[in-house]
Amino acid sequence: MAVTEPNGFLETDRARRRIGWRVMRDAIRPHRFWSWVGIGAGLGWAIARVAIPKLTGLAIDRGINSQHHELTRWVAILLTAGLFQALFTGIRRYAAFRLAYRVETDLRMRLVAHLQSLHFGFHDEAQTGQLMANANSDLQQINQVVLLIPLTIASTLTMLAVIVVLVASSPGLAFFALIALPLLQMSATRFSRLMFPIGTSLQNELARYSGVVEESITGIRVVKGFGAERRQVATIDRQADGIYDRSIAAANLRAWFLPLIDLLPTLGLVGILWYGGHQVLDGHLTIGEIVAANFYVLMLIWPLRMIGMLLGQVPRAVAAAARVHDVLVTDPVIVDRHGARPLADGPGELRFEGVRFAYGNGRDVLDGLDLVVRGGEAVALVGATASGKSTVARLLPRFYDVDNGRILIDGVDVRDLQLRDLRRAIGIVFEDTFLFTESVRDNIAFADPDASMEAVRRAARLAGAEEFVSSLPQGFDTLLGQHGYTLSGGQRQRIAIARAVLAEPKVLILDDATSSVDPTKEHEIRAALAEVMRDRTTLIIAHRPATIALADRVVLLDGGRIVADGTHDELLATNERYREVLARAEIAEAPDPDGGAGNGGAAMASTRDVGDGPVDGGGSR
Amino acid sequence: MRGQGHWADLVPDETISRHDASRLLRRLWSMLGGYYGRIIAASVLLVLQVAALLAGPTLVKYGIDRGIGHHDPAALNGAAIAYLALAFVGLLLGRAVTLMIARIGEGFLRELRGTLFRHLMSLSMGFFEREQTGRLVARMTSDIDALQELTSQGLVLMVQNILLFVGAVVVIFVLSWQLAAAVLVIVPPLYFASRWFRRVSNVAYRDVRDRISTNMSTLQEGLEGIRVVQAYAREPQFTERFNGTNEAQYDANLLTVRLSARYFPAVEFTSVLGTAVILGFGGWLVHRDTITIGVVSAFVLYLNNLFEPIQQLSQFYNTVQSAGAALGKVFGLLDTHASVSERAGAFDLVERKLGVDVEHVSFAYGDGADLVLHDVSLQIAPGERLALVGPTGAGKSTLAKLLARFYDPIEGTVRVGGADLRDVTFASLRKVMCVVPQEGYLFAGTLRDNVRIGHIDATDADVEAAVRALGVWDHFSAFPLGLDTEVQEGGTRLSAGERQLVSLARAALADPGVLVLDEATSNLDPGTEHAVEQALERLMQGRTSVVVAHRLSTAARADRIAVIDAGGLAELGTHDELVAKQGRYAKLYEAWQTHHVEAVQP
Repeated sequence: MAVTEPNGFLETDRARRRIGWRVMRDAIRPHRFWSWVGIGAGLGWAIARVAIPKLTGLAIDRGINSQHHELTRWVAILLTAGLFQALFTGIRRYAAFRLAYRVETDLRMRLVAHLQSLHFGFHDEAQTGQLMANANSDLQQINQVVLLIPLTIASTLTMLAVIVVLVASSPGLAFFALIALPLLQMSATRFSRLMFPIGTSLQNELARYSGVVEESITGIRVVKGFGAERRQVATIDRQADGIYDRSIAAANLRAWFLPLIDLLPTLGLVGILWYGGHQVLDGHLTIGEIVAANFYVLMLIWPLRMIGMLLGQVPRAVAAAARVHDVLVTDPVIVDRHGARPLADGPGELRFEGVRFAYGNGRDVLDGLDLVVRGGEAVALVGATASGKSTVARLLPRFYDVDNGRILIDGVDVRDLQLRDLRRAIGIVFEDTFLFTESVRDNIAFADPDASMEAVRRAARLAGAEEFVSSLPQGFDTLLGQHGYTLSGGQRQRIAIARAVLAEPKVLILDDATSSVDPTKEHEIRAALAEVMRDRTTLIIAHRPATIALADRVVLLDGGRIVADGTHDELLATNERYREVLARAEIAEAPDPDGGAGNGGAAMASTRDVGDGPVDGGGSR
Repeated sequence: MRGQGHWADLVPDETISRHDASRLLRRLWSMLGGYYGRIIAASVLLVLQVAALLAGPTLVKYGIDRGIGHHDPAALNGAAIAYLALAFVGLLLGRAVTLMIARIGEGFLRELRGTLFRHLMSLSMGFFEREQTGRLVARMTSDIDALQELTSQGLVLMVQNILLFVGAVVVIFVLSWQLAAAVLVIVPPLYFASRWFRRVSNVAYRDVRDRISTNMSTLQEGLEGIRVVQAYAREPQFTERFNGTNEAQYDANLLTVRLSARYFPAVEFTSVLGTAVILGFGGWLVHRDTITIGVVSAFVLYLNNLFEPIQQLSQFYNTVQSAGAALGKVFGLLDTHASVSERAGAFDLVERKLGVDVEHVSFAYGDGADLVLHDVSLQIAPGERLALVGPTGAGKSTLAKLLARFYDPIEGTVRVGGADLRDVTFASLRKVMCVVPQEGYLFAGTLRDNVRIGHIDATDADVEAAVRALGVWDHFSAFPLGLDTEVQEGGTRLSAGERQLVSLARAALADPGVLVLDEATSNLDPGTEHAVEQALERLMQGRTSVVVAHRLSTAARADRIAVIDAGGLAELGTHDELVAKQGRYAKLYEAWQTHHVEAVQP
């Protein structure tokens, strides 16, 4: 991390620091009010604080050490100053924290809203964990600095006032009292800077360790299947050693700096006692002034440590802000064109004209695809793995834009349509089903949360999901666990189909949408799907002949273009490649949750599903 | 949340009762056995360090009363030099204490990580199928981190603060009991304010943590489900939902701010109040010549030593609470016993190529659950290849798990080479019998490391020999660094077929006499499909093999086929026998074949 190096910043680092600062400044600007309140209250606080030792000294000299007998008056004045100090400290803390949390919250909202608008291509590349870190730990780093800024301004004011007061009363005493204190701030900064790389490497070590823990548990079937527990234990021991070494390195650093930070103010106290004592003996100073000086030294400990912390924190926050900035400046690629129009009523005719597409800088997945799907027609896309059939499905709703050629719905280029209209007109069911941690009902009514219960039930029925949903503990109100793990893959796919059905799309895309549904169950859905597909333009990506048979027409994709077009029977009869692709899919077919991954869901599903499907239940087993 | 063990609920909340706390502490103390000597040494140094800290203000008093009061410059110089020396001694002691405590704490945590993980690895398969991965990972990571917070700094600071407070109270009473008694008037309000703050802020911070975790899981779901959200153009609704959880997090944070905006002013005012008491009452005592002005000065300095500890201790409360809760969960895991364990006096299997007998075996996942297998009996001869087929959920994978002793049957016996599985050692069983989930799970490391999981003591040459024996050398050597290619966790860079090859290579390296194979269900690209089939064929050559078959082509190649249906053995025989019998298998095969043929030859 070059950013944290105390010297020798690279030019790019400097540019990134500027960016980071700008992000923070811009985030603070709308809430300037609170930063001024914080600074103002800090000023009042500083005055009260600085006054108190002075008052204490005066109380000692005039109240105790003299014959004025004004003790009560000085104590009353002191308490009044104390009240002001307390009042101001409340306000300044409130303002500073409020500002910091507000900035963090605003930035997070901006970040998340922006992430929502970013295209599939971005999310394909980005790791969820990294984005989560941006929205969580990076923003906390920023929070820390935003918080410390008004607090530090108040502290700095206090410090300056203390120096002025001390120097005014005795430059010599001020010298001895304060001589060690700059070292305090320097130590705190240096500590923070030195600690950072150790902290980072400790974090890395901990991350690697938890990686090993996680893979040992996720891969427990392999570990136990081969009796390889010993290997994992040895790996963990190694990682635990690594954590130990880093932690001790951190402790070593702490063990130098923390006692040192404690020591430095004491040097000031010693200096005051010795120099001040002699000054009193010589009659130049009073005992009250010595006690006040002691107070001042003690008072400066926290401000100096805070400045040290801030200086140590700033590079981290600036780097974090620059990372957040990186996400914020990523432009969404897929947006409404200027003058994009709403989708007009129409039959839902699809037209792919010379479509070329590649993911990122990879090879062309589609290489001049031409295809016309009449309104209301159902077309099955068949092809081997990586033939580009799923890509066709992803280009239509503009998850990606074509590199070349164009895609038209009812004669209008999809890029000329309003994105929202386009996507609401297309219902897509993905192969890997994602369900939300909500009730079954809310998942099905995702496209239209206000849908009536009748509509939800109807959608579930059409997707062949009504029966099993009704048998769930709370029926449609059953909450689905994280990623809906309590349901089997086939059940999840049926919920996803219901979700698409409820959206009443003009165009329906089923991307291997029934691949996890038990073949013995699929025929139930098939009848319903036929109903859904009637008069609706449909693209089916499938490899089971029975599912393909739902389509009016089949096109065979190979090498990113269409190589054959006809009915299922025609292609079977005439096309060797088609037979080959189907046969291969056939061999690979046969999901079996009983043999699935070793998690609770699978084990429970298997006990529940006993006798679920008759052996002779047709399908392709 | 379903399927979590009782131990996860041991401490339902992050607060622990006094009774639990003392139980946890006793157990923790007994685990620290190896560190007693060092703990005592560190404690002694800690006491000395605190004494050095506490001596400072007394030296100031001496300097003022003796040096200034009696006009004795030598005493003043002496006090200053002694103070300086003590400060440096304090520095060195502080360093020593910090280091010693870190070595003890980190050493203990290192041991705990190892112990906990060893225990985890010894638990049975059933445990892992019941528990959520995330929970188990949390025991090993975030719970131990919570302890680390305590051991790294928390504990030593806590003890130090207690000593400082107690020491300061003793010293001020020695200096002047009257003034000390007066000063201690500020302790009750400070203590009660701190206790109040601790209580309310505890609740508030727990709320903050809850809302952060809600907010973050909303975000995570939004990111993982981004494709669905965009597909249905639901971005505005999601953004609105996130705005809700995000603002809720802000509100919770703001509450903590409000609380501390009340507490800290009270503390600062109490501090001034303390000073006023010292000056007012102390001044009165000076006038009456009860105490000297040096005593007043020392009191002003000691006031700090009273304040800091009270405030800091209330902050440690949270650290201690969450560490205690974490410790409870960790102990809970340590107390979970393996349901399948090696019995005392278990013997080693010596022969390698053995038969497997299943005798009247019944099984259910958990007490009172429905039987998954019911009175199944089956003999597999040494060297025989048996395929298990049947519909989803019929129990064929469960049977395979029983053969491997991932579970013990609730009734009946599984024998390998005539020996009850429950009577043989795990180590020897795993040498004789390997379970190969064909879906290859990859661990972080190189391909070679991954294959070596099959036999962890194997040399590089052994690994290569196994890969060659399987006939997949060309596949692996085609990777950029051959067998030394790093594969990411989860194996994202390897295709499903390549991962399956890794899995089979592990088995080849393990070279077991009995092989239990769970056939993969994933689609393969044509290139590797063939390689996987061939490798599988070579692997099973000359071994007793039980294959949970998902493809009838695999089943048809087996010596015998067992059809499992509804938890029982429906049919058993060779492919030809079963086809001739016109039973379930025959129907299944017929359906499959017509499809197959229909697809291939119109």
